Amino acid sequence: MNVICFVDNRYGMRFNGRRLSRDRVLLQRVVELSQGSALWTDSFSRILFPDPPENLVVSENFLEEAPEGAFCLDEDRPLLPVAERIACLYLYCWNRDYPSDEKLDLIPQEQGMELVRTEDFPGYSHEKITLEVWQAR
Amino acid sequence: MRGKSFVLRLTAVFAAAVLALSGSPAGALTVKADPNTTITTSAGLQIPAYSGSPFVAVNGNVPFFTKGELTTKSFEVYSDLDSLGRCGTAYANVCTDTMPTQPRGDIGPVKPTGWHTVKYNGIDGNYLYNRCHLIGFQLTGENANEKNLITGTRYLNVTGMVPFENMVADYVKETGNHVLYRVTPIFTGNDLLADGVLMEAESVEDAGAGILFCVFCYNVQPGITINYADGSSSGPAFTGSDKSTTASTTSSSSKSKTETTTTTTEATYIGNRNTKKFHRPDCPSVKSMSSKNKVSLSSRKEAIADGYTPCKRCNP
Repeated sequence: MNVICFVDNRYGMRFNGRRLSRDRVLLQRVVELSQGSALWTDSFSRILFPDPPENLVVSENFLEEAPEGAFCLDEDRPLLPVAERIACLYLYCWNRDYPSDEKLDLIPQEQGMELVRTEDFPGYSHEKITLEVWQAR
Repeated sequence: MRGKSFVLRLTAVFAAAVLALSGSPAGALTVKADPNTTITTSAGLQIPAYSGSPFVAVNGNVPFFTKGELTTKSFEVYSDLDSLGRCGTAYANVCTDTMPTQPRGDIGPVKPTGWHTVKYNGIDGNYLYNRCHLIGFQLTGENANEKNLITGTRYLNVTGMVPFENMVADYVKETGNHVLYRVTPIFTGNDLLADGVLMEAESVEDAGAGILFCVFCYNVQPGITINYADGSSSGPAFTGSDKSTTASTTSSSSKSKTETTTTTTEATYIGNRNTKKFHRPDCPSVKSMSSKNKVSLSSRKEAIADGYTPCKRCNP
């Protein structure tokens, strides 16, 4: 499966049970990225899509249930338990320092993943968002 | 660094909030020191001593706002300085209307209580202290407002407070919602340097679903000993190569248990927003510079990073 995460400069994902940031341009890109496949997520992230795309699948066990080739948008779940199933990790970096008390537990370099692509783009409320695409070896 | 725990008097926080909302001076929020050198009050909330994290969650990370305070009407209230010249609570309902539309201006003329221009090795940019906005410039666009600037360590400013300001600013830009936002500096007794700041925020339209926090950010600098009575300090002497003069920080307070050391100090540089040159403060070009073009720059590094080039007249 392919996992999508949003992180700050310290791999932070949430603070006090809340996402660190959001950006409508980024969300549109996530929808476009997952076109042609299913986009799995949980109820926490479901509210990011007031008009949910047709391929959106919501499950509290989405990381376990998503089939090979599917995309998983993960904002609040640990990835290490499913690391073996991850073929590709799409890290969208805010390029900002935010406070965080929940961080991405799977650091791609430490997992031996390979950085195959980076792309900078402007968001709606963020000057520069960077996409890093990491592939399992 | 201050190694103590302290207790905030919650009632004082509430009182500050009410006074600030009504536009009356809230004054500085103080706590008392007990004979064992811990700061304590009769009742309320304990803040643990600094232990490596730039902030700690307070009150379960839930701000002390009442439901009645949540409003979609924007406002900004800055407490009057107290009798010692210290800042009190700064309180705002942040929204796109309160955010700056112009670049940041000169805040150099403001000298908050406890201010020392002092440099050490081991600090990003070397300067120990920043003029630290209570409510960040990116949220309400306040420049040289002495009621909104305290003496804060580089660590408090950049590592402690800015990430929270970033989170609020980006949320407001993305959603157009309001965020009720209050920052209260905490002083012990008559200290001129704050122990830290209590930062509270709650997004209004979604009832805190987007933004909700209540944290205390420590006014410490790892590796530096600070005397909070007057802001004097000691630490690894600055050994950089800039052309500044040297001076000693001194302490007249019996609270300081460490000797102060000779450290290097430096006058603030002045940038010209129009020409993008930066100058020594005594450069003749500064005297002829329009005040609206003046920008205070805390270091040569900052000046160059901001796109300024050195004046060939004064060679800063």
